[in-house]
Amino acid sequence: MGTAVITQASPKYGPPTDQTHAEITRDVVATLDTAPRGYYYLIFACVGCFLVGVATFIALLKEGLGLAGYQPPIMWSVYITNFVFWVGIGHAGTLISAILFLFRAPWRTAVYRSTEAMTVFAVMTAALFPIIHIGRQWIFYWLLPYPNQRYLWPNFKSPLAWDVFAISTYFTVSTTFLIYGLVPDVAAVRDKVTGWRKFVYGKLSLGWQGTNTQWRHYSRAYLYLAAFCTPLVLSVHSVVSWDFAASLIPGWHGTIFAPYFVAGAIYSGVGMVLTLLIPLRKHLKLERMLTEYHFDNLAKLTLLTGTILFYAYGMEYFVAWYSANTFEQTTFWRRLFGPAWWAGWSMVIPNAFLSQLLWFRKIRTNLTALWVISIFINVGMWFERYVIANALGNDYIPWAWDQMNPTWADWGMLVGSFGWFGMWFFLFSRSFPVVAIQEIKEFVPMPMRGKRAGAKAAAGAH
Amino acid sequence: MAENTTMTTGTGLDRRKFLTVLGATGAGAALTGCSTDRVAKLIPYGTQTEDQVPGIPTWYASTCTECSAGCGLHVKTREGRAIKLEGNPDHPVNAGKLCHRGQAGLQGLYNPARIKGPMKKSGAGFAEITWDEGIKLLADQVKAAGGAFAVVSGGPRGTFEQLLRAFAQQAGGSVTKYEPFDHEPVRLAHQAVFGRDEVPVVDFAKANYILSFGADFLETWGSPLEQQRGFAASHGFDDAAKGMAKHVYVGPRLSLTAANADEWLSTTPGAEAAVALAVARHVAEAKGADAGIRSALATYTAEWAAKESGLTAKQVDEVAEGFAKAKAPVAVAGGIGAQYANAVELCSAVAVLNAVAGAIGTTVRFGQDAVQGDGAAAILALGAKMASGGVKVALVHEANPVYALPKSTGFAAAFAKVPFKVYTGQFMDETAAACDLLLPNHHALERWDDVEPRAGVQGLLQPVMEPVFKTRHTGDVLLAAGKAAGYALPDAADFHAHLEKTWKARLGGGDPEGAWREALAKGGRYAAAPASPALRANPAAIKYTAPAKAAEGEYVLLATPSSLLHDGRGTNKPWLLENPDPVTKMTWRPAIEVHPDTAKLFDARNGEIIRVETAAGAIEAPVVLYPGIAPGVLSMPLGWGHTAYGEFAKDRGANATDVLAVAKDAKFVAYAGQSVKVIKTRGYQKLARTEGTPRQLGRHIAEAMPAAHAAKGLSVKESYLELGGHTHDINPEWEDKAIEGWYETQKEMRVYGEGNNYAGEHPAWGMAVDLSKCTGCSSCVTACYAENNLPWVGEEQVLRGREMSWMRIERYWEGGEGGKALEARFVPVMCQHCENAPCEPVCPVYAAYHTTDGLNGQVYNRCVGTRYCSNNCPYKVRYFNWRAYNRWAWPEPMQLQLNPEVTVRGRGVMEKCTFCIQRIRQAQHDARLEDRKLKDGDVVTACAQACPADAIVFGDMNDPESRVRKIKATNARRYHILEEINVKPAVTYLAKVVNVDPAHLAEGGHA
Amino acid sequence: MRKLVMLLGGVATAVIAVAAVIGRPTAATAQAKADPNAAVKLAAADTANLKGPRQPVFFRHDIHASQYKIQCQYCHYSVAVASEPGLPSTQTCMGCHLVIGGSDESAKAEIKKVRDSWQKKEPIQWVRIHYLAKHAHFPHQRHIKAMGPNACATCHGDVSRMVQVYKVNNIQNMGWCISCHLERKVTRDCSACHY
Repeated sequence: MGTAVITQASPKYGPPTDQTHAEITRDVVATLDTAPRGYYYLIFACVGCFLVGVATFIALLKEGLGLAGYQPPIMWSVYITNFVFWVGIGHAGTLISAILFLFRAPWRTAVYRSTEAMTVFAVMTAALFPIIHIGRQWIFYWLLPYPNQRYLWPNFKSPLAWDVFAISTYFTVSTTFLIYGLVPDVAAVRDKVTGWRKFVYGKLSLGWQGTNTQWRHYSRAYLYLAAFCTPLVLSVHSVVSWDFAASLIPGWHGTIFAPYFVAGAIYSGVGMVLTLLIPLRKHLKLERMLTEYHFDNLAKLTLLTGTILFYAYGMEYFVAWYSANTFEQTTFWRRLFGPAWWAGWSMVIPNAFLSQLLWFRKIRTNLTALWVISIFINVGMWFERYVIANALGNDYIPWAWDQMNPTWADWGMLVGSFGWFGMWFFLFSRSFPVVAIQEIKEFVPMPMRGKRAGAKAAAGAH
Repeated sequence: MAENTTMTTGTGLDRRKFLTVLGATGAGAALTGCSTDRVAKLIPYGTQTEDQVPGIPTWYASTCTECSAGCGLHVKTREGRAIKLEGNPDHPVNAGKLCHRGQAGLQGLYNPARIKGPMKKSGAGFAEITWDEGIKLLADQVKAAGGAFAVVSGGPRGTFEQLLRAFAQQAGGSVTKYEPFDHEPVRLAHQAVFGRDEVPVVDFAKANYILSFGADFLETWGSPLEQQRGFAASHGFDDAAKGMAKHVYVGPRLSLTAANADEWLSTTPGAEAAVALAVARHVAEAKGADAGIRSALATYTAEWAAKESGLTAKQVDEVAEGFAKAKAPVAVAGGIGAQYANAVELCSAVAVLNAVAGAIGTTVRFGQDAVQGDGAAAILALGAKMASGGVKVALVHEANPVYALPKSTGFAAAFAKVPFKVYTGQFMDETAAACDLLLPNHHALERWDDVEPRAGVQGLLQPVMEPVFKTRHTGDVLLAAGKAAGYALPDAADFHAHLEKTWKARLGGGDPEGAWREALAKGGRYAAAPASPALRANPAAIKYTAPAKAAEGEYVLLATPSSLLHDGRGTNKPWLLENPDPVTKMTWRPAIEVHPDTAKLFDARNGEIIRVETAAGAIEAPVVLYPGIAPGVLSMPLGWGHTAYGEFAKDRGANATDVLAVAKDAKFVAYAGQSVKVIKTRGYQKLARTEGTPRQLGRHIAEAMPAAHAAKGLSVKESYLELGGHTHDINPEWEDKAIEGWYETQKEMRVYGEGNNYAGEHPAWGMAVDLSKCTGCSSCVTACYAENNLPWVGEEQVLRGREMSWMRIERYWEGGEGGKALEARFVPVMCQHCENAPCEPVCPVYAAYHTTDGLNGQVYNRCVGTRYCSNNCPYKVRYFNWRAYNRWAWPEPMQLQLNPEVTVRGRGVMEKCTFCIQRIRQAQHDARLEDRKLKDGDVVTACAQACPADAIVFGDMNDPESRVRKIKATNARRYHILEEINVKPAVTYLAKVVNVDPAHLAEGGHA
Repeated sequence: MRKLVMLLGGVATAVIAVAAVIGRPTAATAQAKADPNAAVKLAAADTANLKGPRQPVFFRHDIHASQYKIQCQYCHYSVAVASEPGLPSTQTCMGCHLVIGGSDESAKAEIKKVRDSWQKKEPIQWVRIHYLAKHAHFPHQRHIKAMGPNACATCHGDVSRMVQVYKVNNIQNMGWCISCHLERKVTRDCSACHY
């Protein structure tokens, strides 16, 4: 059998997979079969964490934001940190699914589905925090432009108003992209399953038949959507960065912020992808589809963005010194050597230095090492935002200086956000194909006699 | 006022309900998104009175009783409740100003810890009784006492005091006047030197060289507010022609007064007298005093003084020369914080110094006798009598000796021995708790009374509102009890009648009724001060005994009075507890001030609790490292550690007097100079301080220049360069131009845009703060709390840096290291109402925006609480309601004090200084009704109104006639904080002026 | 919990982002709505089917203001000088009703209530009809100054023709103020009312 031949001949970094269409479909659909008990524990854990968050939020509504560790002049603290953190997480997805698609990077196919899902859920998480963090949460909708008899409108000069639009746009588009990409796969699942599930997936597959016409329109539209998403990857986090850059706080109002934030976002995003995929791969038995080859590439992406971040950090310090602006200089000095030095270093070490380990292939292809590093990356990127918020603590008037001082209310909300995110992600991973069946299939040469080398070459060339 | 009374009794309706009805403008309303806190009922007056128009405040003249200075008050009432206290401009003592203690009187009036009605001891607690029972009981007991009757009165001199004496005399007893800070050493010294047992009145306004030996005349010594006014007048810099006085402070602790000195000479505690004598000697020689004095002073050379005091002979000589040369010198001594065992000698030395310098009769005026109490000796004697069972019935009126007298005097124990004790004060304080019968007096704002703080000044008190509780005027009580006991007392229906009769007799004239009405309106009767007699100093009074050195391994303790709490009567008022101490910036709790070097000796850091021990007792309190105190000296504020006196005061900190070893026959309490052991405990107490970083880091926030430069009319920058500093890094011209253009377009859109059409041209409100006058006393802060319904947030929130005071006094240190003298700079910082306000563009809902009259508006009900405005505020003057402060800051009945013109902010809302916009709008309404334009002075913000030094000027910058415009345009010392960020603040500061040789400030002494 | 409810309400509002412009009633429509049957004989008992809340005393603005032509400011005395319009004290009522005892039984009964309140020195507790949010300041005097002594009707409707007072205009609604300020081209600066 041809398949057998291919299997034998699969080189270490050859085509993304060595399976046949049939096997792929089978394996992927297999991920949707009844889950082991462990999975349910996981879901319950997530829901539990989420409820912690809910409880905290109710407490905030009753008692006021004072429960959290705000220490004026630090008026934004852990909630904004979480917000930026989660928006950042969201970025890898769109990058991998859209931009890499346009660049025709073969290795994305196996990972983009899960990353896209991650994006959507991360944005869903992030979007909660601006509401949680405002003083009077019950009137958050005043930030939306809607006609009213008071002739009152939001202030479009305010970066916070831009945020509303940036986030909502990003959420809508990435959700559409995810659902759209799912259609053929859901159809594939539909054809495998039986009973009520067949009915459900049937509805979700929007009557997909896989006819030639459908495929033609589908791929065109997919291409278009990808093109449409691409600028968002850059724009959204740039806008988020302007929340800070548009102010006059030393350490905030830097022109470097937009690129710096975007790089950071992708960095943290890929970090989170690794954190999630490595266990998932094992758990869903996708070793043959998600090979070292994929992780190697993800790691390279991490290395790239990490290095950009390294540069950005360096540049911030250089500019602070070069500007001869005492306010900037004080802020950046206190960032690493002030009272909150610990936060400063837990941002610099993982983000700037740890990522440099990925120059070594040995580490890139060692999943355990990669996973550990990815955890550090997540922590590091969370602290980056923490440190940025903490810059408020030492701005113009020394008399007012203070340090952020988080409380249970902050941690409760952080735990809650992870619960909320995890809940959605893991539910998704068991209800929909986490690897794109149809796209992987594209790389599998038709099982035909002869031209094996050619087939291999063709596959490799992709 | 009488009408007011009938009016309210007329309706006899519940005032609180009544007010929520008419105060439809927000008193006590928790602010929510679109809430209309519906009031179910509208309740009209029963009888309408012309002096009460809903929506229009009624003002009454009265007199302040928060300390013995007797300042005049104007009380603002709305719909029959007092909501704000301001100074009475006609009054000679305070001329329209009022200190934080005076203003906080309101929180005494509405204090939950007031005794709510007559009560009798029953078991551990008290049982309510009727007034008739109470009065009967009093009469019976006093009669039964058969002469073994004693009265302790903290009340001021006046008609009531005479009634009290008459009552006591009828009952065969006597009255002891008790005032904790009674300046006995001053009186004893003047007795010895001039043969006059009295406290003179010092005129700081006339002086041009002020030499203070530990007399904190800006805080608690003498008549602080009057002296602040005087000090600002002479020491504040107006123009080269007037120049400014020089102020030198001698003493081991940098008090607020010392912080306002041009030079602070830190001596070994108790050795101030040595310096005084040396200066006196030099002056006596220079001015050729009579031989007796000269010979008596002969031995006290500068070298000797230097050895005694730890200064250098040069320093002493410099001071002596300056003092001798000065046209109008004045030396003062006898501050509570410097009341050492040898305080009498110090005061005598200073009296002699004043005499030889010719200050007596010019800057130091006798004959007005500002004495209030009978001195510690008298009260201690009474204590002894009580201990020996010589007193069967004791009546304590408006005094708290059980708390205020140190434990070592044993007064509390002696008082407890008295079989029957009656209390006629207002608060459930330590003394009240120890009494058997409580007959609570009306608060000063609820009663008829008069006050004579000094010869020639007689202030009237009139009730400005119905009593809050079921209290009764002690005068009425005495009259009733007297009748019951058959005493011969003035025959009058009640004290009001008696007072009116007395005054009409006193005023005389053809139309006593008219005169009485006029006196009421003016707040009293103010005769010119009697001429000061010529006095000759008695050389025999010149003595000096060196202070007892602290024993090996021990430290010297100064128990210093707090300018906020006074002798501890302020500790039940949250406004005073949360208002940070002017120099240490501590709130809500006392801390022991220790010099960093001293702290090293017992390895204590900020907040670590130490135990201070003496034979008399021990106290524990956290350490606060304070550079403004001499090494080896500890300082602890008085007024804390109450064991009663209401929820705010009770068990808060420790009472410094507990460690003072005072002899039972002491002539005065030596608050300073106690030698104490120090043991570091394991305890820690985070300090609720409002200070972040006390150094300016070269940011030019609090500017200063030497007097010489100010006289030359140099600008801050020029002076700074002359002193060898680097240039300010202000933006280049092109940058300013660019911003100017941007700003103009913004203004176009804002002011002349559609819908922004006020009638006539727009005002542009602005403020100027003169740092050469500002003493950092913090009266403005309390004024702001009262006017703008600011909530106090409590210690635990202050620890989180969440205090809400719209106006804060920043205190920056200069020098204090590398041999440079320590200098304190005070800057009041409130919203700067920037023209290019960074807070405005970032608010997503336009809650922060620029009004057409140049204010930086903050619309509470539009605010959703993103707090971006505060992040983006370079001055950090925006304050956020982190919790529902409005739910706890006004416990019953304090909410009655709320200003109905100002919205009470709910949680989740940003707030900040509004330039008292309610006052601006009110003035605009009035002007509109009179069809005229606003004129300068129509609007005075609460802080400007209160400022004793007149350092704050407010007005319209578009009005060419306004004071503020002139200052902004012409004054050479003008500058803006953080000028380089181009936000165009509407608040202009005038650099502080230090009267020292420029060399002192050299090499960038600015920051 | 209320906050939570409001929050959800907020979400709803946000989702249907068309909190459409509520039709702004103008003074004109107010007139139209005003009760036409003035000065008909009515006893307190008949008030049940009248608009507006039942008041402790069945005081008839239509009789006092319309029939006897008493100026509004005779009773609401401080409206032209202060931010508060002022309520007549019982004394003011007694000014007339010391002598006027009422024409018929029902009137007598009502006036008796007023006299009793004067005797007992217990003020009549009227039910409030018009109220503003406490964060909005409405200086009555400025509006009287600008629009004349009889401008009351602009907001309160033609009270002089109401048998029992009821709310004509949604005055605690900011849209009401704004529309008028727009028409008359007067300030719409937030801090004119909110401080």
